[in-house]
Amino acid sequence: MKDRAVLVIGGGVAGMQAAFDLAEAGIKVCLVERTLSIGGRMAQLDKTFPTNDCAICILAPKMMDCYRHENIEVLTLSEVTAIEGEIGSFKVKIRRKPRFVDEAKCNGCGDCARVCPMGILNKFDMDLRVRSGAYIPFMQAVPLIYALDRDKCMRCGLCEAVCGKDAIRYDQKPEIVERNVSAIIVAIGFDPLDPSGLTEYGYGRYDNVITALEFERLICAAGPTGGHVIRKDGKEVKRIAWIQCVGARDTRDNRPYCCSVCCMHATKEAILTKEHYPEAATFVLYTDLRCFGKGFQEYVNRAEDDYEVKYIRGKPGEIREKENKNLEIFYSPSSDRVEKLEVDMVVLSTALIPSEGVEALAEILGTELDKYKFFKLKDSYNPTETTRAGIFVAGYCQAPRDIPECIAHGSATASRAMEVVLGGSYDRRA
Amino acid sequence: MTEELRIGVFICHCGINIGGVVDVPAVVEYASTLENVVHAERNLYTCSSDGLESIKSAINEYELNRVVVASCTPRTHEPLFRATCEEAGLNRYLFEFVNIRDQCSWVHMHELEKATEKAKDLVRMGVAKAALLEPLEELTSEVTPSAVVIGAGISGMTAALSIAKNGFHVHLIEKKREMGGMLRRLYKLYPTEELAAEFLEQRIKAVEEHERVELHLSASIKAVEGYVGKFKVILDENGAEKSIDTGVIIVATGAKEFEPEGLYEYDGEKVITQLQLEEKLKRGDSKLDGIENVVMIQCAGARGEVVGYCSKICCMNAIKNAKLIKEANPDINVFIAHNELQAYGEEYELYYRDAKKAGVRFLRFPLERRPKVIKSEGKLVVDVFHERLQMNIPLEADLVVLSVPLVQNPDAEKLSKMLKVPLGQDKFFFEAHVKLRPVDFATDGIFLCGTAQGPKDIEESISQGYAAASRATIPLAKGYVSSEAIISSVDEAICVGCGICESVCPYGAVEVVETEEGRRAKVTGVKCKGCGTCGSSCIKRAIKMHHFTDEQLIAQERTALVTEEVVS
Amino acid sequence: MEKISDIINRTKAFYCVDCGKCTSACPLSRFGDYSPDGLVERALLGLPVQPDLRIWSCLTCNRCKEVCTYGVEYPEFIRGIRSLEEKEKGVCAHGELYSLMKLFTFTHEREQKRLNWVSEDLKVSNKGDILYFTGCLPYFDIVFRDLGVDTVEIARSTVKILNKLGISPVVMNNEVCCGHDLFWNGDLETFKKLAAINIQNIKDTGAKKVIFSCPEGYRTFKLDYPEFFDFDFEVVHISEFLSEKIEEGKIELRKIDEKVTYHDSCRLGRHLGVYDAPRRVISEIAKEFVEMESNRENSLCCGTSGWTNCDGFSEEIRKERLKECTDAGAKIMVTSCPKCLIHFKCHMSNRKGEYDIEIVPFEVLVARAMGVV
Repeated sequence: MKDRAVLVIGGGVAGMQAAFDLAEAGIKVCLVERTLSIGGRMAQLDKTFPTNDCAICILAPKMMDCYRHENIEVLTLSEVTAIEGEIGSFKVKIRRKPRFVDEAKCNGCGDCARVCPMGILNKFDMDLRVRSGAYIPFMQAVPLIYALDRDKCMRCGLCEAVCGKDAIRYDQKPEIVERNVSAIIVAIGFDPLDPSGLTEYGYGRYDNVITALEFERLICAAGPTGGHVIRKDGKEVKRIAWIQCVGARDTRDNRPYCCSVCCMHATKEAILTKEHYPEAATFVLYTDLRCFGKGFQEYVNRAEDDYEVKYIRGKPGEIREKENKNLEIFYSPSSDRVEKLEVDMVVLSTALIPSEGVEALAEILGTELDKYKFFKLKDSYNPTETTRAGIFVAGYCQAPRDIPECIAHGSATASRAMEVVLGGSYDRRA
Repeated sequence: MTEELRIGVFICHCGINIGGVVDVPAVVEYASTLENVVHAERNLYTCSSDGLESIKSAINEYELNRVVVASCTPRTHEPLFRATCEEAGLNRYLFEFVNIRDQCSWVHMHELEKATEKAKDLVRMGVAKAALLEPLEELTSEVTPSAVVIGAGISGMTAALSIAKNGFHVHLIEKKREMGGMLRRLYKLYPTEELAAEFLEQRIKAVEEHERVELHLSASIKAVEGYVGKFKVILDENGAEKSIDTGVIIVATGAKEFEPEGLYEYDGEKVITQLQLEEKLKRGDSKLDGIENVVMIQCAGARGEVVGYCSKICCMNAIKNAKLIKEANPDINVFIAHNELQAYGEEYELYYRDAKKAGVRFLRFPLERRPKVIKSEGKLVVDVFHERLQMNIPLEADLVVLSVPLVQNPDAEKLSKMLKVPLGQDKFFFEAHVKLRPVDFATDGIFLCGTAQGPKDIEESISQGYAAASRATIPLAKGYVSSEAIISSVDEAICVGCGICESVCPYGAVEVVETEEGRRAKVTGVKCKGCGTCGSSCIKRAIKMHHFTDEQLIAQERTALVTEEVVS
Repeated sequence: MEKISDIINRTKAFYCVDCGKCTSACPLSRFGDYSPDGLVERALLGLPVQPDLRIWSCLTCNRCKEVCTYGVEYPEFIRGIRSLEEKEKGVCAHGELYSLMKLFTFTHEREQKRLNWVSEDLKVSNKGDILYFTGCLPYFDIVFRDLGVDTVEIARSTVKILNKLGISPVVMNNEVCCGHDLFWNGDLETFKKLAAINIQNIKDTGAKKVIFSCPEGYRTFKLDYPEFFDFDFEVVHISEFLSEKIEEGKIELRKIDEKVTYHDSCRLGRHLGVYDAPRRVISEIAKEFVEMESNRENSLCCGTSGWTNCDGFSEEIRKERLKECTDAGAKIMVTSCPKCLIHFKCHMSNRKGEYDIEIVPFEVLVARAMGVV
């Protein structure tokens, strides 16, 4: 008897889409997410290109649909630790880390967060905001269940005392659960590169050199600054430059690939800046402007014509900080000259790299990675199946792609898993 | 005779989340004074099992026939409270949600009295609407367990095969005599450089061999009727008419290469398109005897020259052909004049590097100074303004290859009308949501994939083919589709059949049909999403948007705007 | 003789995407219209690479190579192009010095007295495990004495440091020029002859380890000689040697009461990646060690290399570098390269009183701290 269930690893857009399609088709899904909430990287974005839709506004209903679906079991704070068996009958071990809160009892009221005296940098906000020791990563987190940060907790007992639902569990232990599934879909996404090592741009050394994902939190109305792009010295920005391909298309650290989304991402951030500060000057310094998707060229045209975003072809070789903490960018627009551009903030469009822990997961799953740590495909041109039968891959962890491509890819792998579960197809030929 | 109204109101403290700002007992006291309210109570957490139990027992004890909960947001909690009502035997649509957290305690955190007053106003409005709520039922309808895929290019073939493997019968419809689409014309594929013909052969074989794929070659669509689960597709197959019943439809009609007539001295011989070059190479002419210099021009006709968009695949295709020529005959100079080189992602950037290593030379021109092809005395010169060196570089050429964009097939417009699905500004089929629903149409049961949606490479076309298969399999696997309970309906006695509603409905759910009384609008319940666009655009107020009826909303507004003193 | 296409392939110049990053990082382009990728792009398209003498302007400081994300070896490309040119076409700032160097290069017929700098207080040997390759230091002393440069002091300090550690290094009277300048100015033929002589002579002493104070000599032995010849002696820079000894606790150093900074020479820094060793040693000595704005892989060049092309632009670069030193608040700028020392001193000597900075060679600083000078 084969198991009519599928394991999806990763609760970002790709994983959620795969889980949702399968569940709708009547297949049981176990969706395993490493963090406190599903939603993935898209939840961190303010808006999305090329429509400028509010990211969380369009994502939150999807997150709820997934979480509430009768055929989807969402396991947050969970990681796959072992698998046995083969296509059609995998046995999966999942380690559930404790939240220190009873999931069945917590109703997300947030009373615990308000009384907790601890202040800890919130990773979801790229460490730009302090959260409490009892927390959800963001307002729209799904599930809306608080967690205690026990690494920092002094066990003062305030949260326990205030919780009207008696949900605090200081002594919760990790547990291992097992699930039997026919197929597995891996959709673990990406991490942004820490650009400190690219010393020519001064990230970490200069106050006002930040990353694109940090900027995203700053410009977000629900972010740490309420949507105001404010520097460390309290000044609101008037001139911002984006630098493309920071750590990408870069052979120095074995990252020759293009991350596919950053040109449009920077364009969007420049547009948002102009919407917020119409008098601001925005610059995008790039090598090749990659505006290849549907509606992208039109979006860039709009940025140039309607928002006066200035695109400069030329990759900067150096950034210097001035005494007033402004930055001088050196770039060469043509071979006969080097220009200096002064701005009050530089945003680095850093490379998006395979997630931390990808090698360990690949090892557990028995799947191969390519030399840049993306999941390797069984067949070229068929982006759905890993090197191991019954294990499929969706989203950025297979290769760089944007949100709609990740969603299509999530659905695509769902169909591959349906072939196994509904059609009983173990034939690995295309 | 209408039943006596018995409304129960439940106000949530949400711990101190609401209760810390809003004076909840005062709101409860106020609620109990409102007309038709027979019971009002407060709960520390209405959503807790205690809270839910008290809703259920109150429904029984006080014979409640309407329930109002004032708490957080319907986004997270409405389904829970609706289900609770249903468990106590009350129709789930006789429930009304009032949000006094986001709209009161959060936004008026520092104005306690005003927050309380506003909470009272909102509760009063909720009660006013609740009094007019009607029970509603969700409709279900059976699904014909088979699929139609229109177009047997790589994405359509992929979709058809995957649906078949998922266990359902598929009709794969192709207007040409053979499957394969655009791939039939290609020589080799990037980045693996395998032969397109070999790649295609395996896939065609798999489709042909699958017992659940029924091929309809040389077939064109004549008409499409019905809705999700119950479509009827009328075909002209080799001159004979055929009717197919199907639950779902996938549009995979592909795209074609733009014809650069009048651009860059295009003549089809010395100045050709990439696809023409591809056919030349396929004929075994990859050494290009007698040719010393090849110049390729990117974005010919694209990105503002004729069409506005970037066609995504032309850079890589040019790189591939340039590399193949250079490797077959290293003595040929191959130049690619481009603007923004689209070697995106992981493999393409690497392939681009390989082409550079093989000796293909790249020159970047500014978009506002595109290259010029000069023909004189049988000789060709491509004059390229080199952006970085800021100088004109005249390149002698024996062969000029234009990288032209993919454009929509001319018959797409007809199909879009038959299916009642839209085309975008760029003439490609327009998906339900650019970001979140890349392979769905807004209309249920119809999906799209491949280059019909916009230019894309083979891998992405395959990915979309599988994606459309997944989306299409859902209703087939379920066996039924259920519609929203909150839908619109037409009062035929008032409707004059003007058709405005039909034209504004994004889901094709409203149609004007001939009845015995004349032309009247008709709503197909399973297609309707309850957006209300038709209702608000109806000049005769003949359309009723259930659960948001004029009466319900007006009652709510009236009680909001008119003070009690005036009423009494 | 190489063809231009060979140079393109060897230096991976074909990868260039002409993004201009190298140009905007180049210390020379900042002040002039020099462009590494501009030259490469011309070569790739078959245009003449040198409508003027710009290939001779390059400092070969490796900044372009360091920042290039496509792996193009611009300095090597330039060196290759230079070697295609007729000899002597380059404009040498110190033409006389360059000619002199070439004259000294060959010692077939006449024996030179290369060890006159070895004073009586120094302990040296003819045979032994450890050899000190002195390089051109003793000659600079004569040419640049009017700038207040004492390069002999560097050689003597090095030997004294080694003596203090109980080592009497081998020094060779038959040492010849390492060939660095010839190599980078395109005279590969002479370079190879010199390399052969040096390697044979070192082998004859039986040395197992060769210590350098000069980064140019060190680079040449470490990267360039092995391209043409086999040898099995180890090469090491004095800073690396001393850093190791400090780790082993074998050196006692006196602190000096000054704010000190360190200028990375391009050879020791970007060419060889030796950033930490000199800093490790200086941090032991200075009361406070500060970095200049551009440091390590981003370090600014001293403005001249291989005695070619010292002009107004070079002066601008030096001015910029010394300003960085002043801005950092350092009173002492330590250099590892005698040529950097000369160039900075030259700049400062023309602007007496403008700078409150002492330029101190690395070896001299250490010798002082060890109390041997």
